Amino acid sequence: MQNASLESVFYSQKNHISPPFLSPSSSDSLFSPSPERHRVSVATNSGKRSPLNRFNNYQPALHPLRCTVELKQQMATEEAAQIQDPRIAGISSSIRVIPDFPKPGIMFQDITTLLLDPKAFKDTIDLFVERYKGKDISVVAGIEARGFIFGPPIALAIGAKFVPMRKPNKLPETQKFPYKLVSCKEGNVIRVYIASREVISEKYSLEYGTDIMEMHVGAVQPGERALVVDDLIATGGTLCAAIKLLERVGVHVVESACVIELKELKGRERLVDKSLFVLISST
Amino acid sequence: MFAGENGLQGDPRLKAISEAIRVIPHFPKPGIMFQDITTLLLDHKAFKDTVDIFVDRYRDMDISVVAGVEARGFMFGPSIALAIGAKFIPLRKPKKLPGKVISESYVLEYGTDCLEMHVGAVQPGERALVIDDLVATGGTLSAAIRLLERVGAEVVECACVIGLPEVKGQCRLNGRPLYILVEPRQLTSASVYSDQS
Repeated sequence: MQNASLESVFYSQKNHISPPFLSPSSSDSLFSPSPERHRVSVATNSGKRSPLNRFNNYQPALHPLRCTVELKQQMATEEAAQIQDPRIAGISSSIRVIPDFPKPGIMFQDITTLLLDPKAFKDTIDLFVERYKGKDISVVAGIEARGFIFGPPIALAIGAKFVPMRKPNKLPETQKFPYKLVSCKEGNVIRVYIASREVISEKYSLEYGTDIMEMHVGAVQPGERALVVDDLIATGGTLCAAIKLLERVGVHVVESACVIELKELKGRERLVDKSLFVLISST
Repeated sequence: MFAGENGLQGDPRLKAISEAIRVIPHFPKPGIMFQDITTLLLDHKAFKDTVDIFVDRYRDMDISVVAGVEARGFMFGPSIALAIGAKFIPLRKPKKLPGKVISESYVLEYGTDCLEMHVGAVQPGERALVIDDLVATGGTLSAAIRLLERVGAEVVECACVIGLPEVKGQCRLNGRPLYILVEPRQLTSASVYSDQS
């Protein structure tokens, strides 16, 4: 669906993308348009609970750790037989790679070209909406700034509210109370929380240095079910910070959803038992 | 021009949209009454109505480009683009866009800032809509218009949810039409202390 002028201007290097990689918590039946196929897939899982079933019931079928191991095994055997949703190819080919951005050695996955392709952009949103509609998700949290592009259309389509997770000092507060620094040691890491009345913060590590993410406290209620959205997962540090912020105020993060996963950076492992869904996995 | 005076007189959706916006006094600095749209995003119906009003207005205007100003323009622009079949172009702060860019600087109250757009994202002759959450002096939107016009696009209109008094009575910005849904809310105890509508 790319027009000639687009290709001539933009970087045409082939995107090194492996076959679409679905997270352990999904199965090819998720993408099948026919509900009957979905049910058949669940029935033939030799008695094991399908990951989709777990998602639907919202209760882990098994002990969380065992569940993850079994799901990974299940996925490995299913992978060969997986049918790729036909929309994935168009989405994948609409993403361009910019080498050496923001620094040498990094192959930057640029989704702005996906946004220039109305069909690919619509398909991207549709794939997420089809997965999350009717799952009682009341919050879509999007991470600044590219999460702001994908999150709101998903939120609008599934009837959820949209909560922006922002860089420091962007979210307005009625009064800046004196900062209260609370530190707590988790293993080798000392986390520092900056407590103020309306905004809570989470400090997290990046490849080089640290960053801080903020959320309005009153935006979500305890017990709400949330989806976290960003364009890409790399090391998983940013997504972990978002999940922690939401969990600190009593929200259940059902899943994290990204367009792209950079497999070699092992973000999925960083998320441990937190569910992750991606459309494209890039090596 | 304001929607409530042009085609949407008495539309109850506008009142609900206005009431979903929260006023934060003295943010980011004393004297500024900040119009916080995050509470609008928490109200699914009001958020959907906001997008629907823009979509209804622009769907038959043959617009192929929706340009959203970082970062709150990103929260409204893509949904409009998807609904009218246009592409979405993020207009970003410096050094965020990875490819080749063109830049336009603009004046702030103190100092200047800069807006960037990818080269090649827009073709000459395309019809474009610029979207942001709020227009105050119009400096940012003017920079956005200049960026698009520099690459030969035609800016059909600039659209904002909120328009501050500085632009009241102005129908045009840089010679381009301006379309605004609501005026800023005044500070009342209700608007300050209600977290969600």
